[in-house]
Parts: sequence; structure tokens; C-alpha cells
Amino acid sequence: MKNMIYIYRTIVWIIFFALLSMLFLPSPSLGQGEEVTSYISRYGQNEVRTGYYEKYEVRPGNQRPLVRKFRSIDREPFAYSSTAASIRIRPRLADPHRGIGFYNNRRCEECHVNETHDIHTVRENITGRQCHGPEPIASIDHYYSPLNSIRRHAYVCAKCHEGASASFASYVVHEPAAGAISTRVSFPAMYYSYWFMLALLAGTLAFFIPHSLLMGLRELFGKKG
Amino acid sequence: MMQKTRIKRFSLLDRIFHFFLILTFLTQTATGFSRMFFSTVWGKALTDVLGGYQTTTLIHKWVGVLMIWGFIFHTLYLLTRIDWKNPKTSFFGPDSIVPNFQDAKHLWQRILWFFGLGSSPKIGRWAYWEKFDYWAVYWGMPLLAITGLALMYPVFTSRFVQGWTLNIAVLLHRAEARLAVSYIFIVHFFVGHLRPSSFPMNEAMFAGSIPMEELKKEKPAWHDQLKNEGKLETSKVRPPSFLYKIIYFIFGYTALGFGVYLLINGIIYSRYITLH
Repeated sequence: MKNMIYIYRTIVWIIFFALLSMLFLPSPSLGQGEEVTSYISRYGQNEVRTGYYEKYEVRPGNQRPLVRKFRSIDREPFAYSSTAASIRIRPRLADPHRGIGFYNNRRCEECHVNETHDIHTVRENITGRQCHGPEPIASIDHYYSPLNSIRRHAYVCAKCHEGASASFASYVVHEPAAGAISTRVSFPAMYYSYWFMLALLAGTLAFFIPHSLLMGLRELFGKKG
Repeated sequence: MMQKTRIKRFSLLDRIFHFFLILTFLTQTATGFSRMFFSTVWGKALTDVLGGYQTTTLIHKWVGVLMIWGFIFHTLYLLTRIDWKNPKTSFFGPDSIVPNFQDAKHLWQRILWFFGLGSSPKIGRWAYWEKFDYWAVYWGMPLLAITGLALMYPVFTSRFVQGWTLNIAVLLHRAEARLAVSYIFIVHFFVGHLRPSSFPMNEAMFAGSIPMEELKKEKPAWHDQLKNEGKLETSKVRPPSFLYKIIYFIFGYTALGFGVYLLINGIIYSRYITLH
């Protein structure tokens, strides 16, 4: 009889903890918001379809010791709408273009002008979609984006560059303007190489062109013999 | 006709190296410019002439590797020129092409002379601007070679260095190439062809010898040195044959015209491209 009381008490405590834990579980109504397959399932499908698996992924954040994300450059005034402006500075969205007016009638390069001057675009005619993927184009820092730096090398770079590693993928395709003051923060190695080479070029020519001209003039008009 | 006395200045091997460098350098400039200016009308036209984008890339890579071999052989040749029993004279003697304090002095005296404030320095075998010509190419070649090879095998390179180093490699390769091209096609061509004492062409690098008058006027210290060492008579060589002269004049002016064409178009279209 006494044992039965212990069993009842145990059952009551289990029920109590079960009810308590429900406070910390997500609300059942949250599941009704999503009308498409979740990103987790799509990621799983992508794994199956492409043959790439998580074993190719690397730990984030250790690839670019001297290259920072160009966050400050992204905070420019945004032309068309306040909604878009608030969206623009959030880099981890599944669909960062959501809320942009007439989005379906626009071309990528209408807004991403600076992203069309790189070698991949100009020389090899690579389009944005070939790397950034189909709609919805996720932010490159979105966890399930193929361009996330933990899997970019396997999902994107390796499509053309066979055997691309995570190190290889740290190549900055959309280079910042090398001489710009913001580049000193985002990509210092490029900034200093640029100004060093420019100073070398300008200095050499600024010295040797007048030097040659003066030599020529002196020989032309100087005393003969 | 009186034959002018000529003094030997460059060995046959020196001239072969220079000839090889002319051919490879012009090829690299043409193919490199066709790539660098590919987004402009002129760059596209140049690319078409040279066989399309893929072909120019291929030529650029192959000739680049050829240039690296040239550099290696030239360095080996340099090592044979050093007298290892007496390296100090080899490096700092009057026949050495290594820059020294004397060159800085000559530069200052030369600048005074430009403005009529003094007499021209007694320049030896290698003038300071000739030394600069030589060493500018000599340090530029490894830089172009290393960045070029890194860009040729980017995936392999990224195993040893971070991938963003390739961004820097592109920048350095292009900037150094532009520096070399502007220096050679402006300064080197002016000194070799256009200045009054060289006009229409300084033949030393093709004929291998310079006239006695030029030696006395341009390189007085070398003349004195040869005289003191008693080498003035043994250094005398026969002048180049008329046929050879015609050949190297045609070749020299073809190279000159080719270079100036690339330079002028490069300047015109440079506003449409960036340094990196």
C-alpha cells in the first residue's frame, strides 16, 4: 500500500515536469506560418540531389584573418523604399529581396552595379545566378545558403574550379575598390599593395620621364663636343 | 670609306638575352593588354587579332613560362660571371652592374649638368640609368613570375596560402606589368632611340659594339679604365655588316612601333579599367 503512494507521487511529478517542459517548447501555432517546405528539409533535399554532404563543411570564421566582411559598405542610403532599407542591412535573411517593389521586373545589375565589374563577370561571363542560385536568393551569411563560407567551396567554387578548398573560396570575387579608405578596414592587404604599387609606378615615371627629357634637351641644346 | 673604330660592349650571349626579352616582353604585353582591356572595344579587337580570349590566355601562360626559363638561365649566366676568388671586385668593381655610392653621386652631378650648373660626371661602363633599367627588369620578373604562376594554378596555390592572396596576386601582377610597360615603352625607348645622341637608334645592343667617339663622350671613365688596363686595343672589333645593320634596324623599329602602339592605346583606354 505504501509502495503505491510512492508510485502515484512519481507519476504526478513526471506529469508536472512534462507540463512544465511544454512551456519551453515552441508553440504549436508556429508550425502554421510556413507554407513551403522548411529550409532544413530543402537543405536535406539539396544534399541528396547534389551529392554534397556536411562532411565538406568547415568551421566558419577562420578563413579570412585579414579580410573582413564589407558590412560598412552595405550601409549606404538605399534608393527605393524604407522597407528595403531596413532589409538591406540584415545579412542573414533567407530572402533579403523580400519587400522590394517590382522585384520580379528588375535585373540584378540595376542595383548591384559594383558587383558586375569583377573578373568572373567581365572575363568569363559568369552571371549572378550561377553562383548565388535561384529565387529566393539567400544572403550569403544565411545559414543554409550555398554561399555560406562554411560550404561555399564545395557548393559554388568547385562547380568550375575542380578541387576548390575552403581556403580557395576565401578569394574575394566582388573586390572592393582597392584604393578606397573603407578598404583599409575591410581588406588591408589589398589597400596597402595598391597604394604601394601606385606610388612605385607614379614615382618611377615622375622621376625618369623628366630625367630622360632633360637629358634629351641638354644633348640637343648643350655645347657640342 | 673610312671605317670607324668600334669597341666591344655586349657579348653575343648578352644580345641573345636582350633579343629574347624583346620578343617575349612584346608578346606578353600584347596578350596581357588584350586581357586587361578585354572590357573595352580596343581590348576586344586586340583579342580577336590574337586568336580569341582563350588563345591569348594560353599564349600568355606559355610565353610566361618561357620567360621564367630565360630568367633562370640569365641568373645562372650571372653566377658564372662572378669571379668567386675575388667576389668584392666582381660586385663593386668598375665593370659591375651592382649600384653603388658612385651612382648616387653621378645622378646628382647629372642633374646639375641638366641645368648647366656643372660638368657631366665621368660615367663608367654602366651608367646609373642603365643599371636601373637592368635591375628594374630583374626584380620585376620574379614578381610577375610568382604572381603569374599563382594565378595559373589557383587551386594548388590556395593549398599553401589563403585564397584572398590571389586577389593581391592579380593586383600585383597587373600593377607591375603596367609599371614595366610604361617604363620600357616611354623611358627605355626614349633613351635608346629618341634622345639626340642615340637617334635614330642606339645600336649597341644589336651590333654589340659602340663607336670610339661614343665611348669617349658617353663613357669617359670606361675609356680611361680600358686604357689603363691596356685593353683598348684588344677590345676593338669589326663594325657590323651592312646587311645585319638593315635587319636590326627593321627589327628594332618594328618592336618600337609595336610597343608605342600598345602604349598609346593603353593610355587612351586606361580610364575604362582599374589597376586591379
